[in-house]
Amino acid sequence: MPKCIKSEGQAIDYASKLLPTAEAEAFEQHLKHCSDCNTAVESFSKVLNLTDMAEKEVTLPEAALRDIEMNVYKRLAATQEEPRFPRVRAFLANLEVLFQWHKTAAASTLVIAMITAAVLFVEFYQPEVELQLAESQSADARIERYLQQDIQRHLDDAMITHHLRNDAWETESHLQRVKEHAQSTNWMKVPQTLSFNKTTNDLAKGY
Amino acid sequence: MDKLIDDEMLVAQFQAGRQNAFDELMKRYKSKIFSYLLRSVRNYEDAEDITIEVFFKAYRALENWQPKAKFSTWLYKIAANLVIDYHRAKARHPVYALEDMEIPEANLVATDQYSNPVKELEEKELGRIIRDAVDQLSPKQKAVFILNRYEGLQLKEVAETLGMAEGTVKIHLHRAMKRLQTILNPLWENNEL
Repeated sequence: MPKCIKSEGQAIDYASKLLPTAEAEAFEQHLKHCSDCNTAVESFSKVLNLTDMAEKEVTLPEAALRDIEMNVYKRLAATQEEPRFPRVRAFLANLEVLFQWHKTAAASTLVIAMITAAVLFVEFYQPEVELQLAESQSADARIERYLQQDIQRHLDDAMITHHLRNDAWETESHLQRVKEHAQSTNWMKVPQTLSFNKTTNDLAKGY
Repeated sequence: MDKLIDDEMLVAQFQAGRQNAFDELMKRYKSKIFSYLLRSVRNYEDAEDITIEVFFKAYRALENWQPKAKFSTWLYKIAANLVIDYHRAKARHPVYALEDMEIPEANLVATDQYSNPVKELEEKELGRIIRDAVDQLSPKQKAVFILNRYEGLQLKEVAETLGMAEGTVKIHLHRAMKRLQTILNPLWENNEL
């Protein structure tokens, strides 16, 4: 190994003729008085001579070279013939063969398959339901409305019982229900004006 | 320079629809590509197959090729990539042959064959030892060494071909040389070379 400050790489580049002219000339000047670099250059030159000699022995067979063009075009031709979707095409080809021998059966199978598909489609097809709800009142308003209707009904019943049947006990019973329903509503004032201690006639007058 | 223009003109003609231009390009480069591949894979049939693959790929890609580099560099790049694929595939699925798969001896003939059979045999053996030494280089070192030494590519072209920086190519080349020196030095010191 050279102990010279010049790098071994420079010796390799010089032996391989890779140094630029100016650098090569400078290195040649250096070689005149550096035995280490001289030894290195000599060694690498020998490596290159040997490998060049060995590789030059590799000759190419004319027959193979002659056939290259032909084989390239054969390869191109084979690729152009290759289908784009070989598996699908193979499947269709197989179907075609099958259909050639059993045309009627195949046609029937196809029709049955189509009908089955249609039935299954109808059976399982569930169109997406779009709920279009009309804007409704709030729950509180609706409860209030039904409560008023209830109170109105019981009050009507009380009047009917009082006037038509003249049944005081039944009338009071209806008024009691009115009071229950009218809890915490504006209708509270109605039963309040009515007294259970009063007679049914007074009740009718109060109403 | 003329060659560069010629190649580009041929490519332009091919792109314009003249198929014969590709024949001319193949004629120009088939030997070079084949020899590069033969040195890289050391197998006659595989080298031939890959050469066909190189021109096949080139034909398919040439329509959209832009002359950013020399046509030959581009072709070597395709070949170098296929060599990498080849070695990867071989590493994954090694083939164990009964005989050592290397270049047939018939293709390694000396010019003055039969003149001195003993000398011829010695030269063949010497050539085999040296080629074995080259084969011991790492794939990158070997690719750089072959492209630069035997295919005559400049370091810049080697860098473009192998997708490396020029400095990296030089490093691989230096390492290749040192490795070969380490392998071959004992042989010539023992007068075997």
